[in-house]
Amino acid sequence: MSATEGAAKAPERGKLSLRAIINNAGIGLALLVLILFFSVTTEHFLSPNNITNILTQITINLILAVGMTFVILIGGIDLSVGSVMAFAAVVAGKAITLPGLGAPDLILLAIAAGLFAGLVCGIINGAISAYWSLPSFIITLGMLNIARGAALQVSNAQTIYSFPTAFEDFGSMLIYGVPVVFMLALLLVAIAWFVLNRPVFGRLIYGIGNNEEAVRLAGHSVYWYKVAAFTICGLTAGIAAIVYMARLSIASPIAGIGFELNAIAAVIIGGTSLSGGRGSVIGTLLGAFIIGVLANGLILIGLSDFMRQMITGVVIIVAVILDHYRAKYAVS
Amino acid sequence: MANPSYARDTAEDLLLDVQNLRKSFGGVHALSGVSFSLKPGEVHALVGENGAGKSTLIKVLSGVHRHDSGSMTLGGAPFVPTDPHFAKAAGIQVVHQEFNLLNDLSVAENISIEAFPRSRFGLLDRGEMKRRARVALDSIGLQDIDVSARVGTLGIAHRQLIEIARALQSDSRILILDEPTATLTERETSRLFEIVASIKAKGVTVVFVSHHLDEVFAICDRVTVFRNGETIATELVSQTSPEQVVRHMVGRSLLEQVKEVSQHIRDTTVLSVAGLRTAASPHAQGVSFDLRQGEILGIAGLVGAGRTEVLRAIFGADPYQSGSVTLDGKPLRIAGPKDAIAAGIGFVTEDRKDEGLILDMAIAANVSLVGLRDIARHGVLNFIRERRLAAGGGARLQLKYGKVSDPASRLSGGNQQKVVLAKWLQSNPRILLLDEPTRGVDVGAKAEIYAILKDLAAQGMSMIVVSSELPELITLSDRILVMSEHKIQGALLTDDFDQETILKLAYGQSQSPSQTQTQRQTEEGPKQ
Repeated sequence: MSATEGAAKAPERGKLSLRAIINNAGIGLALLVLILFFSVTTEHFLSPNNITNILTQITINLILAVGMTFVILIGGIDLSVGSVMAFAAVVAGKAITLPGLGAPDLILLAIAAGLFAGLVCGIINGAISAYWSLPSFIITLGMLNIARGAALQVSNAQTIYSFPTAFEDFGSMLIYGVPVVFMLALLLVAIAWFVLNRPVFGRLIYGIGNNEEAVRLAGHSVYWYKVAAFTICGLTAGIAAIVYMARLSIASPIAGIGFELNAIAAVIIGGTSLSGGRGSVIGTLLGAFIIGVLANGLILIGLSDFMRQMITGVVIIVAVILDHYRAKYAVS
Repeated sequence: MANPSYARDTAEDLLLDVQNLRKSFGGVHALSGVSFSLKPGEVHALVGENGAGKSTLIKVLSGVHRHDSGSMTLGGAPFVPTDPHFAKAAGIQVVHQEFNLLNDLSVAENISIEAFPRSRFGLLDRGEMKRRARVALDSIGLQDIDVSARVGTLGIAHRQLIEIARALQSDSRILILDEPTATLTERETSRLFEIVASIKAKGVTVVFVSHHLDEVFAICDRVTVFRNGETIATELVSQTSPEQVVRHMVGRSLLEQVKEVSQHIRDTTVLSVAGLRTAASPHAQGVSFDLRQGEILGIAGLVGAGRTEVLRAIFGADPYQSGSVTLDGKPLRIAGPKDAIAAGIGFVTEDRKDEGLILDMAIAANVSLVGLRDIARHGVLNFIRERRLAAGGGARLQLKYGKVSDPASRLSGGNQQKVVLAKWLQSNPRILLLDEPTRGVDVGAKAEIYAILKDLAAQGMSMIVVSSELPELITLSDRILVMSEHKIQGALLTDDFDQETILKLAYGQSQSPSQTQTQRQTEEGPKQ
């Protein structure tokens, strides 16, 4: 999947060396080991119900992580996605509960409003950090507060509920036991993969993360590509907001607290370098799965939520250490 | 390797003995077999072109880089410097090319930075710190410097001397001066030489890295010549000549290159620069010159003379203060590199790693970077076209590579530079700006790059080449401008090319202007 010739990829070293396996298949292998481990140690891990569960649980994190992959690939970070998701959800919630419109219109309006709210937050993040070359860490930290405050302001700190039934059905619909919202997330992964690998756009996203100055001197407008990466991230936060609303049938202004950290964790565990330029959205997919499987499996074997959190933390640190060695091999 | 004077020495006589040292970065062999030795109390010169391995050797000796293979002994015992502290403790002090001073701190603080004196309660002992600084400065004859002055307020020469004072205050067996005179005036240089002589008298061994052979022959006992990551020869200064050393430095292949007459230059002026003043330039009149079609215009000068700034301004990489650039007689409005590329200008930057290449990316992706839109349809890349294009560009430049999908980091320095060239040639520029086009490139690839550039010029491409290697400029250029302190100090035509004249012009401020040179200065007007 990730072996696209000539595409901007982490360098493939000698084809069958151990190193190549660690580089390209390491995350998949780790996920497989986890799945095997939990299938053996617990009774219900592989039951259809539990699989549906896992897929539902990772959906929102996966959607946020897809957008985050773009931002991290250009060497940035977006700390605001959790808050932006809440803001977009509240905006969409206001729209969907407007009086005097039919259900289909309300749903379309809500989707448009939610996506637009996310998009605008992303554009602001990108435009400010790219124009003044400011660290996106700080700018998006500001946006984290702005969006959270805006969500509380717009909703009067009240949770919004009673949505049209069709909308709520979409959130819980299963096809052969697979949640439709998860399929949507997979579709986003596929689109992101295409965008990152085939067009000029994706090539330059990788290029900017690797060597921004070289890309600029080659006559490309680095500014717009950076803004675009943040915009995509904001847009996925908007999509996540809609999915979140449809699944839980509420729009809460305090939703999504800490979601940005899970999204970043999925991207990093997936092997995308925090310094940019190296990684893939397929890795992000696997990273989201690792986090989801770990969370689900550890509860099934009876560990407390606190232990689960600690282990997730350990996995993140191990992933970054592995990334350090990957980067080292890539250079030498 | 052939080193008669070395063969006579027994190991006990040597302070430092380096045998067959190797070090590579990625695919680039920075050191490929360096052998060299120091006798106690000598002043030993290291010479060689840029990228020949001198700086890497110094970094290995001072513990900045670890060598890949080879052996080192210091005072007869095996020596493996693991980090800069270790090397310092062993008595090896380095004054680097780039200053390691903190400009906002005082002279005294800078001198004591490695080991601040502490009072009884662990607080900084300012009195002791100033006293030590005074002693350190006095010991090299710098009575005139106030230890409380902020370093940033001092001139470059003084900063250099403060670095030396700092290096010498701890116990030094070996003091390494990496191009100490590069930024000094003649008077300051002679003061430095007095200091070196006094250091030597104290029994300290001095390693002196320089591009200026007259300095080497003035103060050094032995000289080791580097070329292409190897030590070519070590000779007693008293038994060799500058000509001999240059022969070692340049190697046979380049000397034998014939300098053909430049008939390909047409009379049409393609690019005209008038009164161009960059942000760093202190001169209101700026820089003015014309570039004709098919001409290779060299720009010589010292580091910091403003050469790179001129290229970057023309290309739109950095904005300029004032002045104008005219292309084909029409004013060229450039807001950024994009406009320059659209106008047919290419820019091979000085720094491959930071500005030229995306090292982690495939060779093909690097070659296509400038003309990316040309290999895409509706924004979607055509990988087959891209590979074909990269392979074609590679063949044209005799690029040696495995597959075009290999990352650029796997190539040697010379081949990396060819990838950068291929990238720019893809957009068919009419004017190519080249900044240090063969830095860190081995001699063989250098000759190939020269041939490529000459061929392109013969086909009508115009070039501006900035280089710190005079033999390179002399080989390539049809005309050489010499810059000094952000202004053009002189212009030389092919027949007048001569290292000495160029160097004198480059040190524009020195007080010994010869007659011919002033003549040239006036001759260099707005037009040839």
